[in-house]
Amino acid sequence: MATGEPGSPTREGMALPQEQAGLCPTDTGGDELSTGPEEQEELLAPQSNGPVRPADGQGDAQEEPSDKELSDSASTDNALEDSSEFGRPLGVGACEPGGPLAPPTHRDEDVTAASWRARRKHIFVLSEAGKPIYSRYGNEEALSSTMGVMMALVSFIQSGDNAIRSIYSDDRKLVFVQQGPLVLVSVSRTLQSEQQLRQELLYVYYQILSMLTQVSITRIFERKKNYDLRRLLAGSEKILDRLLNLVESDPGFLLGAVRCLPLPASLRDALGTLLQKAITPNLVFSILVARSQLVTAVQERAVIEECRLEPTDLHLLLNLIGASSAFQAGEIWTPICLPRFNPDGYFYAYISYLDAECTVCLVLLSTDKESFYAVSDCKKRVEEAMRTQGSLQVLSGGLQSPSYGVGQVGVPDLRHFLYKPLDIPENYRQLPQFTSPELEGPYCSEEEQHRLFDLYHYLHSRIHSTSRPLRLIYHVAEKETLLAWVTSKFELYTCFSPLVTKAGAINVLTKLLRWIKKEEDRLFIRYPPKYSTTPNPGKGAKGGRPDGAENGFFAGL
Amino acid sequence: MAAAAAGGAGQEKQLAPALLSFFIYNPKLGPREGEEEKKILFYHPNEVEKNEKIRNVGLCEAIVQFTRTFSPSKPAKSLHTQKNRQFFNEPEENFWMVMVVRNPVIEKYHKDGKPVIEYQEEELLDKVYSSVLQQCYSMYKLFNGTFLKAIEDGGVRVLKERLEKFFHRYLQTLHLQSCDLLDVFCGISFFPLDKMTYLKIQSFINRMEESLNIVKYTAFLYNDQLIWSGLEQDDMRILYKYLTTSLFPRHIEPELAGRDSPIRAEMPGNLQHYGRFLTGPLNLNDPEAKCRFPKIFVNTDGTYEELHLIVYKAMSAAVCFMIDASMQPTLDFCRKLDSIVGPQLTVLASDICEQYNINKRISGSEKEPQFKFIYFNHMNLAEKSTIHMRKTPSVSLTSVHPDLMKILGDINSDFTRVDEDEEIIVKAMSDYWVVGKKSDQRELYVILNQKNANLIEVNETLLMTGWGRITTSSFAGSGSCVAESSGSLTTPLSVSAFSAAASSCFLASSAFLMAISLSSHKQKFILVYHCNKFMQTYHRLK
Repeated sequence: MATGEPGSPTREGMALPQEQAGLCPTDTGGDELSTGPEEQEELLAPQSNGPVRPADGQGDAQEEPSDKELSDSASTDNALEDSSEFGRPLGVGACEPGGPLAPPTHRDEDVTAASWRARRKHIFVLSEAGKPIYSRYGNEEALSSTMGVMMALVSFIQSGDNAIRSIYSDDRKLVFVQQGPLVLVSVSRTLQSEQQLRQELLYVYYQILSMLTQVSITRIFERKKNYDLRRLLAGSEKILDRLLNLVESDPGFLLGAVRCLPLPASLRDALGTLLQKAITPNLVFSILVARSQLVTAVQERAVIEECRLEPTDLHLLLNLIGASSAFQAGEIWTPICLPRFNPDGYFYAYISYLDAECTVCLVLLSTDKESFYAVSDCKKRVEEAMRTQGSLQVLSGGLQSPSYGVGQVGVPDLRHFLYKPLDIPENYRQLPQFTSPELEGPYCSEEEQHRLFDLYHYLHSRIHSTSRPLRLIYHVAEKETLLAWVTSKFELYTCFSPLVTKAGAINVLTKLLRWIKKEEDRLFIRYPPKYSTTPNPGKGAKGGRPDGAENGFFAGL
Repeated sequence: MAAAAAGGAGQEKQLAPALLSFFIYNPKLGPREGEEEKKILFYHPNEVEKNEKIRNVGLCEAIVQFTRTFSPSKPAKSLHTQKNRQFFNEPEENFWMVMVVRNPVIEKYHKDGKPVIEYQEEELLDKVYSSVLQQCYSMYKLFNGTFLKAIEDGGVRVLKERLEKFFHRYLQTLHLQSCDLLDVFCGISFFPLDKMTYLKIQSFINRMEESLNIVKYTAFLYNDQLIWSGLEQDDMRILYKYLTTSLFPRHIEPELAGRDSPIRAEMPGNLQHYGRFLTGPLNLNDPEAKCRFPKIFVNTDGTYEELHLIVYKAMSAAVCFMIDASMQPTLDFCRKLDSIVGPQLTVLASDICEQYNINKRISGSEKEPQFKFIYFNHMNLAEKSTIHMRKTPSVSLTSVHPDLMKILGDINSDFTRVDEDEEIIVKAMSDYWVVGKKSDQRELYVILNQKNANLIEVNETLLMTGWGRITTSSFAGSGSCVAESSGSLTTPLSVSAFSAAASSCFLASSAFLMAISLSSHKQKFILVYHCNKFMQTYHRLK
């Protein structure tokens, strides 16, 4: 956003190198802008009741209602003098009043009931003033006294020039994390370590940042200590709920890696080339995903030199997209913060599903909020080329069947595994990746899946312990035998049948590693494609204070 | 010990974990605002300002109350903060004991001379220090009875006096920097014995209990290891800890120093013997000698017995005679005891010593072993360690790196998560292999000294080297214990059953044969199961 002066970036963009000029008809840029309104109506037909619309100057008009809404419903202490400053971004849930909301069971839960206490994992978010912001189960209002006690504990220990970390009881861990003006608390009965629970709370925090950015949260609470942040996050509970379910079932969060859709290398390369060609100035990331598995991601050369796309950011982005059915309609243009990349700036995300079943999704991130039409045009080119290639059918067709079964490895004692390569070429610029087969066999029920992931969490926490890391763990238990192994080339977690012998396990391991070696071009992105779109791209709105225009824009959403 | 210098660039100082405070309170004693101080029964260090004490107690109450929101019956056990850990224990209803331990600290110096303090937050193991706190209570209770009893005896004032008197001294002996897995087990080391010698000891005890008919319970130890006890296990466990970490070490030193020569040939009408009282009268010839023995409280959950503890020792053999507190042992009684027990115990001690030396010769001289181990049996509290060279009251000397000890602690806490049998093999960053095995209430931990081995070689080593011997010899300890201490199994039959089992165990020499259970019907099954497993492995190795 450093270059985010309206108008100017497009001009600069037009002066881009030749090879791109062919693909990106810069002279149509102006036309497109002028034809914008009609096209927009056409493209975003369901937009009137949809949540997100492209910024095309309507932002100013939208600002007012939002402003009014804020102060209207505000109990006076929450009325902000300048509420436009904290314009509501995304507001996914709130904007689909008629939408098919998930049954609101969790929110209505009786917080005094034994069933509430028995939950596997509670998550609470509160402000430093002790105001509830989010609770995974039960109504925040009903929990306000509990959250008040949490805050009291935090500040009491702080007053002794110390910091609370956690409380352990026989069957639970309570973990506290303080991030800026927010306090996050996890109350868990899982086997996860304190570190892992802390990491999860950070995911929650980052997800909130992805909607609001760090600077604006800080500023809000600087202005008003007891501001009720739920006003800005209204409707986003769903996003956090989904995140917390994902964190417990998707090993990507545990491993800090993304899962790639297994694909023939030739097809993946072809798709990469496609994305590489469909560019426009200030485009920084092009990401193609199919049912939350990465197909390919292209990154701006200059940007990744500074900082690579973190798996966390991708997880959060995909969760945000997945949480809202509204995103499935037409094209979405929305500001989004990639908190690990830059917690204070917004990117502008173009999100569009390419197939009717909403399995294949294209995400284009730009630093220029005015570039909707240019980016939308990129998508059209990608879509067209994919149609010509016939790759869309291959992609969505491939998703009908499960990704792959452990049976493909061809060793009977192996039940499941997680494999994270550490020897990908150019690894330091690459998104860390992992692969694992579908869960089958004894791990079909939710209970058994939780048990297996608990075991993986336990292995991960011991092998990556901050104070006493290990190289290898071989664990024989009644229901399965597990092995965790970290070398300079890979990180591997395997689950064997309980009767496997040590020699047998080693044998399985040898075969598995051989199989992965053979399949690695299909399972992983080996050579990540790159492109150059801008001579001097900014790192999001690094250091940028959202100025008036921007805020009007956010409020408009 | 407090400031062991760690090398490396620049100045760096490492501070071991230390006791910051220790307090006991009962929220019911000062429920109203303004009377919070009444809740506090004991506070160390006492110099802390009153309001500070009240605040810290208040925090503990809040934490406990808060965790009850989620699990009413299982409140907080520990609180982790950047600088310290607090451990909570409610040994009696509404009586809370809290121990605050400072995290280890690394003190670095910047170039400008400013110290930078870094707290190592992951170093303390909760289970270890929670156990230490529980033992604080057990030890108090052994010598003072329950908290409630003190209040019944003389109100809060008496309880406060007793707490002050006991903990003032006891807290100085905690030595938190050297606590480890053995503190979690708080087990008993048993002396391995052959059948004949064991029977000799049993008949000695029977004779003594008959001659000194006021004796209610007896315990027999050799070389600081238990051979026989008539007490309940939990009482014996804490008495054993007291004897081996406090009473015996205090009396070893004079002997080593050559003072207080125990030979008392001048006693008229007596054979020469080496017997002497470790508690009670120092000199039986002094008519003014006081016959005051420490009082101990046992079976506090049931019959609540108050006893005099008489500890009498001849050479390496020690006997504890416990008599009801209502009987006041006189000097005459002590003289009688000395004259009966002294000579017989002296003979018995040299018999045991002789037998012990023969056994040692048979088993061959100990070479530097490829591995070190800790064994613990939850059923009879039998414990054995070749890692600890000597456990004195002040320091426990271990022969392995502290990090490896902590890995053992980690494995132990992984075992407690589930009741099932488990085996964990890990390779540490230092390339040492550490193995833990839990099987039917027994736990065995081995540290292997083979840095370059792979998993299969580790397994081979466990099978081929003296692993079978480890299991039999630790088994010998546990076997004699089952036979001797539980009372219900004191027939020689169980002893021979044990040796039969032990020999088959030896024959099979399977890695994890320690699982054989003497007390349950599972015995055969487990034996067969492990033999099968062994045969499988054996064939594969061939």
